[in-house]
Amino acid sequence: MTATATRAIPTDATECARLLAEATADRRTVRIKGSGTKSYIGDVGATDVELGTERLAGVIDHVPADLTVTVGAGTRMADLAAALDRAGQFLPLDPPHADEATVGGVIAANSNGFWRARYGGVRDLLIGTRTALADGTVARAGGLVVKNVAGYDLDKLLVGSFGTLGVIVEATLKVLPLPERSDGLVARFDRPADAFAVANAVTRAASRVEACVVERSEDGPWRVAVQARGSDPTVKRAMSDARREVAAGHGEAVELADALVRMRELPARATDGALVRVSLPLAASAAFAESAVRLESFAAVIVDAASGIVRVHLVDDDDDAVIRDAEALLLAARMVGGAGRIERRAEQLRSRLLTWPNRPNGDFLMRRIKEAFDPAGILEPGRSAFA
Amino acid sequence: MRGLVALLGPAKVLGTHDDLLLYEYDGAVDTATPDAVVLPESTADVAALARFCHEHAVPIVPRGAGTGLSGGAIPVEGGVVVSFARMARILEIDVPNLRAVVQPGLINLHLSTAVAPHGLYFVPDPSSQKACTLGGNVAENSGGPHTLAYGVTTNHVTGVEIVLSDGTVARLGGRAVEDEGYDLVGSFVGSEGTLGLVTEITVKLTPLPEDKRTLMAAFPTMDEASETVSAIIAAGIVPSAIEMMDQLATQAVEASVHAGYPLDAGGILLVEVDGARDGLDDTRARIEAICRDHAASEVRVATSALERERLWAGRKGAFAAMGRLSPDYYVQDGVIPRTRLPDILRLVKDAGARHGLQVANVFHAGDGNLHPLILFDSRLGPDQLERAKAAGLEILTACVEAGGSITGEHGVGMEKNCFMPLQFRPSDLAAMHRLKEAFDPAGLMNPGKVFPTPSRCREFAFASTAR
Repeated sequence: MTATATRAIPTDATECARLLAEATADRRTVRIKGSGTKSYIGDVGATDVELGTERLAGVIDHVPADLTVTVGAGTRMADLAAALDRAGQFLPLDPPHADEATVGGVIAANSNGFWRARYGGVRDLLIGTRTALADGTVARAGGLVVKNVAGYDLDKLLVGSFGTLGVIVEATLKVLPLPERSDGLVARFDRPADAFAVANAVTRAASRVEACVVERSEDGPWRVAVQARGSDPTVKRAMSDARREVAAGHGEAVELADALVRMRELPARATDGALVRVSLPLAASAAFAESAVRLESFAAVIVDAASGIVRVHLVDDDDDAVIRDAEALLLAARMVGGAGRIERRAEQLRSRLLTWPNRPNGDFLMRRIKEAFDPAGILEPGRSAFA
Repeated sequence: MRGLVALLGPAKVLGTHDDLLLYEYDGAVDTATPDAVVLPESTADVAALARFCHEHAVPIVPRGAGTGLSGGAIPVEGGVVVSFARMARILEIDVPNLRAVVQPGLINLHLSTAVAPHGLYFVPDPSSQKACTLGGNVAENSGGPHTLAYGVTTNHVTGVEIVLSDGTVARLGGRAVEDEGYDLVGSFVGSEGTLGLVTEITVKLTPLPEDKRTLMAAFPTMDEASETVSAIIAAGIVPSAIEMMDQLATQAVEASVHAGYPLDAGGILLVEVDGARDGLDDTRARIEAICRDHAASEVRVATSALERERLWAGRKGAFAAMGRLSPDYYVQDGVIPRTRLPDILRLVKDAGARHGLQVANVFHAGDGNLHPLILFDSRLGPDQLERAKAAGLEILTACVEAGGSITGEHGVGMEKNCFMPLQFRPSDLAAMHRLKEAFDPAGLMNPGKVFPTPSRCREFAFASTAR
């Protein structure tokens, strides 16, 4: 591997596929880069080629009445949002790095936010892809329609594949009309049990909220943020349900302001220490978060109460403490039937804290799939260490 | 056969001619007789059976209730049919985590019935839900009328235990919303029994909606009904279901179910919204107004649970009611973008007429999933089924040209595997086949399904017309 990568910027799927075929023939390794917002994920070193997707950008087809949009993978999420907004619609996905991230990067990293339980995650919203493969072919999966079972669901395989199986060139996603009204609150609690009881009640209420997140920072109180969007009567009902639960849980509600955005953008801020991200069975997240708070290097915890995704930020002058605590959290996640990764860590911890120290279920199948799609192993070496 | 009996015992193996005949068909039109039928009672039985078949290079064909509509459970290349009728238990109802762990032979409706006391249900509700199994739902990625707002099977499965064709047992996913690494659960759901046998399923349970509103609207023609569907969706309303029926279907349904649909309507919509009670009447009123703006001659709102059930009984009994019109039917499952409904429905009618056949339409209009029922009478001659299939192919071709799919929920199976090249280019199919080789390198799992086979597909030479 060379220190400085050659930069390639294909303008279409065919050119992208040809670049990959050449790389395969020459055994040159390739990194795929959208905006590079999540380049901290994975254990990757230098590659021979850096393939930028910035010229694979733009809205290709948007039929508002069909509630679908097809875009180039290099399209920035913010640009897509602006285009949809002009038609009174939105992509119901709120990943971290929301403005800079590209659609392709969000899909490849399976990057979700807090709206997942309400609208579905990347895997549920993605209905079609065009992908350039390592052998120089272009494969389409899914299609333009919201319901489709023809052939294998390769779209699902690409979600969270981190570019290790191919370069996503184009994607078709489900979109929704913009809700007419939005409201929210954030409430403080003295006792974590109250905060989690409120969050649990809110996420299971008949009035479905858009987001419900439990948070605590080092010296702060436990906080629960709730947001509801939809028609006027449904939002009113959701917020009145939420306020009743907050009162019953002895919480003190204040304006939501930008609390949810700050919580969502934790991965963007967590440049020091280590950021552990786990997915847990729903009922396990309260005890997990409470034990995280007691760790020596604890700095912040964010619990998506509706989907069971928990992030813990660990910061300490003592690297050993961070490593010890991060490993303890991943072990605890496994013990309750969850899984996780070290999503981000400070530069000096990279070699000591691998992203995926544990193998997921079915790892032998993942290795076979990787081998079938990229036999020369040119795509994102190190990024698929989970297998 | 003797080897299987020695391996599993005589109680788990069927091999007499009469027994085998019961397993040569499913809900579609093709048949083939298996060499043996095995009724496993545990994952260990399934793994032992798979190892045996692997050693002897015998095809394995999984089967749930046999209600499938694409020939997925038909042993077209012979081999052993594995019926999951004896692996039909609910293993755990996990209310705090909103999950249930079930065996593949469990009947779909039995799960929702069992969790209802907890205020929960399993969302996918295929019309066959009184008979079809969860294992079959996983294989086919089944839908149903109420998947418009809440998704199909793949959106409600978080974990599976599978047995590969070499007998390896693997657990994929779990109770959390996702696992690390490739989404193997999402890749497996909808693979039509061609990647492995599912022996245990972890599904999401969803809180039952607080309330519902169901309305039936009658329109002069299918055009107005179609435009109403687009208008409702465009207004930002996402109903839990929007079903459409044409006049021919309505007449058949009324003769058998008496759901109270007007016989003179050219098209009928059945729309349901659910959720928190607040806002439901508001939404219902908006839908009513949209229907009237599109020339609805009648809008009837169910005022009781009994009335709602009656309206739905007509829809759910529609396929069975076709017997009133014709002794046989061939149902297609193409999908189109919703906005193309009016012109494609006209094309469907014309395709039937060109082959001298009537077509009734009963379908999931909200997601553009057509179900044209092509009526024929096999007593009139062997060409009747051929004509129905020819009309079906014309309809699917039109669906793909409109930017759609050859199947929305019934699966490809052996009924449409020759049509896959309509929708996918060789490079697309080759990519799918890489997944097949990773899971089933021996090629023993449900052969002759999903992918075109040279022997059976010779007469069809398509170039993809997909957009």
